[in-house]
Amino acid sequence: MKHKVPYALKLRSFPGVGIAGVASLVFLYFPMFVVAAFSFNDGNRALAWQGFSIRWYERVFHDAAIISATRMSLIVAGIATVASVVLAVAYVLAMDRLSRAGSVLAGAILAAPIVVPEVVLGIATLSFIRLIGMTPGFLPLVLAHTAFCFPFAMMNIRARYDGLNPAYFESAADLGATRAALTWKITLPLLAPGIVSGALLAFVVSMDDYMISSFLTSAGTTTLPIYIFGLIRKGVNPSVNVVATLLLLMAIAVTVATTVLTGRKKS
Amino acid sequence: MALNLAQHEQRALPKPGQLSGWFTTPAILLGLLFTLGPIVVITVFSFMSQPANGSGVDLIFSTKGYEQFLFQEDFYGNRGFDGRYLSAFWLSFVQAFFTTFASIAIAFPVAIWMATKTERTQNVLLMLVTIPFWTNLLVRTYAWIILLSEDGTVNTVLGWFGIEPQVLLYNSYATLISLIFSFLPFAILPMYSSLAGFDFRLAEAAYDLGARKLDVIRKILWPAVSGGVLSAIALCFVPAFGSYLQPVLLGGGKVLMVGNLIADQYGQARNWPFGAALSVIILALTLLGAWALLTWAKRSSTKVSLAV
Repeated sequence: MKHKVPYALKLRSFPGVGIAGVASLVFLYFPMFVVAAFSFNDGNRALAWQGFSIRWYERVFHDAAIISATRMSLIVAGIATVASVVLAVAYVLAMDRLSRAGSVLAGAILAAPIVVPEVVLGIATLSFIRLIGMTPGFLPLVLAHTAFCFPFAMMNIRARYDGLNPAYFESAADLGATRAALTWKITLPLLAPGIVSGALLAFVVSMDDYMISSFLTSAGTTTLPIYIFGLIRKGVNPSVNVVATLLLLMAIAVTVATTVLTGRKKS
Repeated sequence: MALNLAQHEQRALPKPGQLSGWFTTPAILLGLLFTLGPIVVITVFSFMSQPANGSGVDLIFSTKGYEQFLFQEDFYGNRGFDGRYLSAFWLSFVQAFFTTFASIAIAFPVAIWMATKTERTQNVLLMLVTIPFWTNLLVRTYAWIILLSEDGTVNTVLGWFGIEPQVLLYNSYATLISLIFSFLPFAILPMYSSLAGFDFRLAEAAYDLGARKLDVIRKILWPAVSGGVLSAIALCFVPAFGSYLQPVLLGGGKVLMVGNLIADQYGQARNWPFGAALSVIILALTLLGAWALLTWAKRSSTKVSLAV
């Protein structure tokens, strides 16, 4: 539904909403802008501006600890993304076959990671793996990440699936496509934008997680958020400014990509 | 993307691209093992006893985890009321309340502003609000250390006006402002999405018929946005109540909220049954809150969706 707002209405009805809007955007972006600006600071101390330099970027790109933590995060996020997307596609394509009660229950369990406070999910997962005889480390880390990435991957894939026109499938079936061919050649390609945007969000959610990972990592599986949390606790740090700026860039790239891919359907 | 709290309708036309119901098994298994399973386990652990040394639990039934929440035993075994943990809950409640209240109060005009723009501008603004949503929370919290520390940005600017450096960091105000900063997008997004399809000519018509501004806001805009407000309450309050990073990094150990209290029990304090009991209490409160929201929504026939 498209509608135009008369210019006069905007002025007359809601004076001040523009100020609130711009002020909110400044509030949301100014702190990140300051961090990004200081990442180009030449000084050794993070807070006094001493001229432009990219030397902290060079330092971060040669920092063995940051590189290995980043590599660990990328590996965990990569596996968790692929696993959660595969599970989500299978789930979305089959969920309507579940009984009504079954699908309500399954939906509630699978969406729970969004609603349950992270700290609770973290200690709960630690308790659980302890009970089944696992110790914190790579495998529980990857499994837990897959579980909490799942709802984010699933939502996008499902939104895309629900928006598909059944006529595609009917005409394919009428033309003699087998079930397997339908799934592989029609459904999956049509789902692709939802799959890619779901995967991107799952990846970001996994890369961002500090809380749950902090209970599940061992000495050898330090992820990037765990490592920079350690740095931040010691105070302001120029290397953290650089990592923070790079993570901000990742968020911008992912948001732009998912917006383009999913396309805004609402007016 | 949207996650409807209400159950989705069964599809009218079955899609031939569907797979058999068995394909849901791996996902459900993962959910049972790594979401429901852990929650069942801490519920059980909360009724177990603390081992003499080390972490974990002894599998002996005990309600001590819950008793510790309110009572403390002294050296001689006398039991006395202990309000420390209750006050951590109270502080969490106050912080979460003000976070939610402020976020919704700010988001209301912002949502109106966004919804009255042209479609193209709306999409750009939506993206601008979504970016912080997907930005690393640790990094966003860290930004406030730079702003508020003793030689930080805010004090630098104050210095230009000849104002002495203030102590801004490591208190509950610093925690609160970073909580609002963290969760404001969680209020704007659902409130905007419930206003996005709103026909603002209705407001225009009300004015033409002589309605006062307050009436237009109260009787026309507020009902339209109220579904988004309920989502915003759920999306801001719950994570703010259980927050960990903000009180730890910006409260500097002086702001004890439930999130860091629980994490401590599984860390230094090594009191898993107590940590589990606190988690169960939070979960119960969350469920109760969700139930209250849904009941309220049903009564006022407001459609709630967690639009993200």
